[in-house]
Amino acid sequence: MRLAFWLYEGTALHGISRVTNSMKGVHTVYHAPQGDDYITATYTMLERTPEFPGLSISVVRGRDLAQGVSRLPATLQQVNEHYNPELTVIAPSCSTALLQEDLRQLAMHSGVPEEKLLVYALNPFRVSENEAADGLFTELVKRYAAEQEKTAEPSVNILGFTSLGFHLRANLTSLRRMLQTLGIKVNVVAPWGAGTDDLRKLPAAWLNIAPYREIGASAAAYLCDRFGMPALYDAPLGVEPTRQWLEGIVREINIVAAAKGAPLLRMPALRAFSLDGLSAPSGVPWFARTADMESFSGKKAFVFGDATHTVGVVKFLRDELGMQIIGAGTYLERHAAWVKEQLQGYLPGELMVTDKFQEVSAFIEEEIPDLVCGTQMERHSCRKLDVPCMVISPPTHIENHLLGYYPFFGFDGADVMADRVYISCKLGLEKHLIDFFGDAGLEYEEEAALQPDTAVSSNGHESNGPESATSVATPAQATDPDGMSWTDEAENMLKKVPFFVRKKVRKNTETFARQQGESCITADVFRQAKESLGG
Amino acid sequence: MTARDAVYAFFPATGSAVGNDFRRKNFMMQVPGEFPIIKEDNVTHSFCGLACVGWMYQKIKDSFFLILGTHTCAHFLQNALGMMIFAKPRFGIALIEEGDLAKHEPGLEDIVAEIKADHHPSVIFLLSSCTPEVMKVDFKGLAHHLSTPEVPVLFVPASGLVYNFTQAEDSVLHSLVPYCPEAPAGKKNVVFLGSVNDVTADDLRAEAEELGIPVGGFLPESRFDRMPAIGPDTVLAPIQPYLSRVAVKLARERGARVLNSLFPFGPDGTRVFWEDLAKEFGIQVDLRDREKAAWEKIRQQTELLRGKKVFLTADTMMELPLARFLKSAGADVVECSSAYINKKFHSRELEALEGVRVVEQPNFHRQLEDIKRDRPDLIVTSLMTANPFVGHGFIVKWSMEFTLMSIHSWSGVFTLANLFVSPFNRRSKLPAFDETVWLEGVMPSAE
Repeated sequence: MRLAFWLYEGTALHGISRVTNSMKGVHTVYHAPQGDDYITATYTMLERTPEFPGLSISVVRGRDLAQGVSRLPATLQQVNEHYNPELTVIAPSCSTALLQEDLRQLAMHSGVPEEKLLVYALNPFRVSENEAADGLFTELVKRYAAEQEKTAEPSVNILGFTSLGFHLRANLTSLRRMLQTLGIKVNVVAPWGAGTDDLRKLPAAWLNIAPYREIGASAAAYLCDRFGMPALYDAPLGVEPTRQWLEGIVREINIVAAAKGAPLLRMPALRAFSLDGLSAPSGVPWFARTADMESFSGKKAFVFGDATHTVGVVKFLRDELGMQIIGAGTYLERHAAWVKEQLQGYLPGELMVTDKFQEVSAFIEEEIPDLVCGTQMERHSCRKLDVPCMVISPPTHIENHLLGYYPFFGFDGADVMADRVYISCKLGLEKHLIDFFGDAGLEYEEEAALQPDTAVSSNGHESNGPESATSVATPAQATDPDGMSWTDEAENMLKKVPFFVRKKVRKNTETFARQQGESCITADVFRQAKESLGG
Repeated sequence: MTARDAVYAFFPATGSAVGNDFRRKNFMMQVPGEFPIIKEDNVTHSFCGLACVGWMYQKIKDSFFLILGTHTCAHFLQNALGMMIFAKPRFGIALIEEGDLAKHEPGLEDIVAEIKADHHPSVIFLLSSCTPEVMKVDFKGLAHHLSTPEVPVLFVPASGLVYNFTQAEDSVLHSLVPYCPEAPAGKKNVVFLGSVNDVTADDLRAEAEELGIPVGGFLPESRFDRMPAIGPDTVLAPIQPYLSRVAVKLARERGARVLNSLFPFGPDGTRVFWEDLAKEFGIQVDLRDREKAAWEKIRQQTELLRGKKVFLTADTMMELPLARFLKSAGADVVECSSAYINKKFHSRELEALEGVRVVEQPNFHRQLEDIKRDRPDLIVTSLMTANPFVGHGFIVKWSMEFTLMSIHSWSGVFTLANLFVSPFNRRSKLPAFDETVWLEGVMPSAE
């Protein structure tokens, strides 16, 4: 048992409903106590779905347990009557899983035909969101995918796109744009938008694209085993990976084409992939070579997220922007081995594998990277530390459901990522000017940064309760746990250091002083530190 | 399929016939009593009792809320209540993992020590959740075992097996009763029951004092060591409609009188509340002029609400007084449903709602059918269902907003009325909306 405040991954039940909520004609019934369908609010409020999510709850009350009553059959009847789904997935929650009921038996009492019901009971104490989503999706593909003729034209399935996925819509648009340019039809996107009939026709495609390690890769592997369908598992994150991804698609499609005696695809000129059809498909290669971007090479970056994005972003930062990677990590222990293998040679140390955000935050505080690429939680941690951060990975957040076109995949995605790095970091000429002129009148920025987070409390009783906000901010501001004090003179000298490196200089100076056996930073100690640290 | 088609696909044309048939199956029953209440099966979308942590930890400032629960509880709090902003707030989950399931009793000593070291709370509330309830954890024994004289650990039943949304505030206050000093007989004053923000509390206090009503305090106060004294001459004035259990307990254990009135929302409720409360202290006041002035202040709003059909789906348990205010304002409340209705505690509100269809523990599927048939002008509903109703062409208000805004007493009248009116105003300010165009592709499409 441990004390948890916040978790990266959602529950198995959440993973299950992400898949069914993505699909047409598929409903989930949670066999669970009141409130366990809280997740409905994330679909209707983050994705802003104008339809009722395909999710109902068969409420389990304490009194029912005492009386041995189950409402499951009645709920299934209601769902059948109201939504008439082709399939209803029945899932127990963490508490009802302990009851060890025979849900299949109970479900049969509803009178709903057996082929329209699927009991998907996982051990919610062992399986989390992504594994459950991937597992259920594979299960559904197994259930419906049927042997059939290939489409006449070259076609692909896009697998693993799932409700509440990270920049889902824009990523899908980016892939569709590129496939269209190649002259390849999309046979099915699943689970996002697919019905059971769409799953049936999956084997008609020539190739499966499963860019997410977390969801969809297992289904692609099954379709390969069962129907001999080739699959492309790479994620087109960055310019070069996108080129390789395109070449991979052309190669795989042409293998099928050759076997069919169909005409072979040719890779079009790269400009065909640009938004206007007239330009380089991405600005990143030129951007990275421009003179002011030289300062990128000295920048230290730390990357933390799921498996797919952590791997893709580390490679993008180092290989395409020339940044220095000081560390990376993932919260998905299940995929850690794969991430390690993918990032061989990229990391100076071990891959961090943890689902405790406090450990990630402690690393960031220790290293003060120039750029952190992380989840919403790292963004939060970094704000307290005044470290630049961009969000590159789920768990999803309202800010990952913006209206504009911000993909991460494809050439368009490479541009979006580079823009975000640029906006997040303090760079180039701007930095030199500030170095030269000291604060350059930007002192107020630090003041602003030191304000407690202007968090929007979800509760107006005490909106932005000052006490809680400060208690959050305090650890970051605690000057020194070992009682290191600064004289006014030394503090004044520190103030002359540009604000955005001040925190780091403070820390380095204190480390230096400690090594020298000093307990107080005087002007002299500060000068010595400056000399010895070369700053 | 256009969104309009979807509406009809969703609500089959045979709606009423299906509905009647469905109603029989649904074990819809009439609850006996003076005021007719229909009771259904609670197949609905709302939150569990843990939701109360969202405001209670902010209200009681030297507290820590510890939930013995699972990944589900943690995920609920961080998602539905949007609490990730506070990475280390004064609440947390003692996370039951697989290895803990086999243990006889959960060992919380280390976690409690960690909380004390990091947060220095004056009190720790130990909240139950569904999984440990199913595991039959002895929460009372556990809380007792973890308590020290310096930092008591109080058991708060909150699981979704029993409690909905705001109801667990009742449990929190229940647990605080032993920490309310005994007020001696003869000390006659009012203690307001229910957590409100400090501004609202000051306002209620000032209003009472102006009427000559001595104020003993609030349950809860914002610090654990300042809970109000309650005794046989205390008058408890409930200011939130979901606190029946603690009221009953205080009446039984301390002999306190519980004010039976309307809740102080809207000009009508506020007048009756203060007049009834004053009466408890032998003070006759006539606040009809004040009520009239308050209605006058919101005349624009009530003119807009008059004759509007309003449907309240069950969510926060504030539905009864809200519906009563709407009815007084001239709206046509077509249904008021609530997860829990207490015939005694809510008797005055039920009386004022006479003629309105009142449903306890409603069935959401049935409500959808009725809504399709009745086409209400406004639906007050949960976060989970609001946008889909908008997608189906309805005007909607989030029910949760009423728990977050200062809508009490005279000073809250304007806010309360505006909450109902703003969705209409907003809709009228927006340009015409062709859903066949602007909703296209909003739902996923495999093509």
